[in-house]
Amino acid sequence: MVNHRSDLTKKVGGFTKPRAPLGLWMVGAVFFLFLIIPFFVRSPYSLHIFIMVFYFAFLGTAWNLVSMAGQLSLGHAALLGIGGYTSTLLFMEWGLTPWLGMLVGACVGGIIGGIIAYPAFRLRGPYFALTSIAFAEILRLYVENTEIGPFGIPLKAAMGLLVPLRGHAPAVFQFENKEAYYYIALLMMFVAVTICYLICRSRMGFYLAAIRSDQDAGEALGINSTKYKLMAMVISSALTALGGSFYAQYFFIINPDRAMGLAMSIEIATVGVMGGWQTVLGPTIGSILLTPTSELMRAYLGGATAGLDLMIYGLLIIIVVLFLPNGINDPLMRLVRRLEAHVPKTKIRAEKDTE
Amino acid sequence: MAFLEVENVKKNFGGLVAVHDFDMTVEKGEIVGLIGPNGAGKTTLFNMIACFYPPDSGRVVFQGRDIVGMKPYQVCSLGIARTFQVTKPFLNSTVLENIMVGGFLRGSNAREARRIAMEILELLNFSDKKDAMGHEITTADQKRLELARSLATKPSLLLLDEVMAGLNPAEKVLLVDLLRRINSQGITLLTVEHDMRAVMSLCERIIVMNRGGKLVDGPPQRVANDQQAIAAYLGEEYVAT
Repeated sequence: MVNHRSDLTKKVGGFTKPRAPLGLWMVGAVFFLFLIIPFFVRSPYSLHIFIMVFYFAFLGTAWNLVSMAGQLSLGHAALLGIGGYTSTLLFMEWGLTPWLGMLVGACVGGIIGGIIAYPAFRLRGPYFALTSIAFAEILRLYVENTEIGPFGIPLKAAMGLLVPLRGHAPAVFQFENKEAYYYIALLMMFVAVTICYLICRSRMGFYLAAIRSDQDAGEALGINSTKYKLMAMVISSALTALGGSFYAQYFFIINPDRAMGLAMSIEIATVGVMGGWQTVLGPTIGSILLTPTSELMRAYLGGATAGLDLMIYGLLIIIVVLFLPNGINDPLMRLVRRLEAHVPKTKIRAEKDTE
Repeated sequence: MAFLEVENVKKNFGGLVAVHDFDMTVEKGEIVGLIGPNGAGKTTLFNMIACFYPPDSGRVVFQGRDIVGMKPYQVCSLGIARTFQVTKPFLNSTVLENIMVGGFLRGSNAREARRIAMEILELLNFSDKKDAMGHEITTADQKRLELARSLATKPSLLLLDEVMAGLNPAEKVLLVDLLRRINSQGITLLTVEHDMRAVMSLCERIIVMNRGGKLVDGPPQRVANDQQAIAAYLGEEYVAT
């Protein structure tokens, strides 16, 4: 199926600055809304849902960088685990504040992601996806069955790590109110989307788009595909690892089953694919739609008929796949374009002329 | 030291000898045509010069440098660009963006790449189509796009793989003219072609290949009258006695 939207300009929801200033305005408005929500919404559970939306938007956007390289990764949870375990272990064993620990985790995640991806990138299509699943599962199984790891690191096997409670301790990334986590998650989401946006507009973005469109043609134009795919993977891995540290600090526990499991990898990928694969805002949109749905379904229906929440979630996915194969991003962009047609012509033309 | 030297190059595919003991040179600024019947080994030779795959033995020396074993993206940096016989436009991008991909090789950022791309569009009279999508444009325009993209990498040697294929006579005349203009800007051209009229009118020198080896190497007039070349293409019975 031919995608009628330009791959290379899949920037902010599909628009570059001169093409649809309206698109940027709308994004700005939504972001502003997110900024002020905690002033109106007080319930911790509602804030929790928002935090989860931002968190999965962050992870989905980070994951999406690998999609930009044309590969489908179904093993990103492993990197989540690497990040979370690294920062938590550093905190538990050496008292290093998770604020720094998460940066270390990001480096470790980036390096390991790069090492694994380098040989795996030669694999096309589903084989890369399978390899990513294998990698994640191997790592998870290893951690799950290892009490004490190399160098005497206590991995605590299946039980996982419990983050030592310090009460309200901002210096070590622990807060007793949801608002703090809310803004941190919002900031992380903003940073991830911005990084993705900037990459798309840069040489790296153009090269990645070229590689996934036609790698041979790209190479003939001077593109070192391995290098750029690797760059995408390393950045993606590092960001995902950051997400893992946030996970640990938010839930106070990190274990192989939940944090590094296949289910988590698939959740991340689902958010990205449903929202709009290989687009900048796709994962964010996907998270906004899917995360509250799954959370609320679980809360209200989880107990009722067994699995009803999962059925509805599944139904939602089926609907999106059937009617919106390019993700939710697509009709949303069309809507914005239709709206922009009503914006006074002079404004848009003026911006076009300056380009 | 010639601009491009191909020395004693051999290539086998399994049991099939595609190219054997092949030598040729190209001087800077020339327009050289590479012709021959199907299966002569033109494309194989072409791909070896473009470093799509390496020769089994022999050297390919570009501007004094042996490029055997390099990757396509490396030789592109050095200044060798190529087009593909079956065009490979980036379908989901606009013409401008396609060309910008080429532009990023020498341009340090998006603005530079865009500027280079716009220049190329002007040069090829292609600016009106700059926002058309890769999958929307006609075959002739796709050929122009291939050319534009390669030119954006600012090559010194441009390898053209059957650029005339799929074009009508009017389009061919325009393309020949365009290629002459490109050459006049200092870019050396080596073109594999089947279209005799185009080759005769465009190329200063023609190399005829047959069965993996070189038959004739000279100006168009000499090649047109060469017995072996005629025999190779049309069969023995057409050779004038």
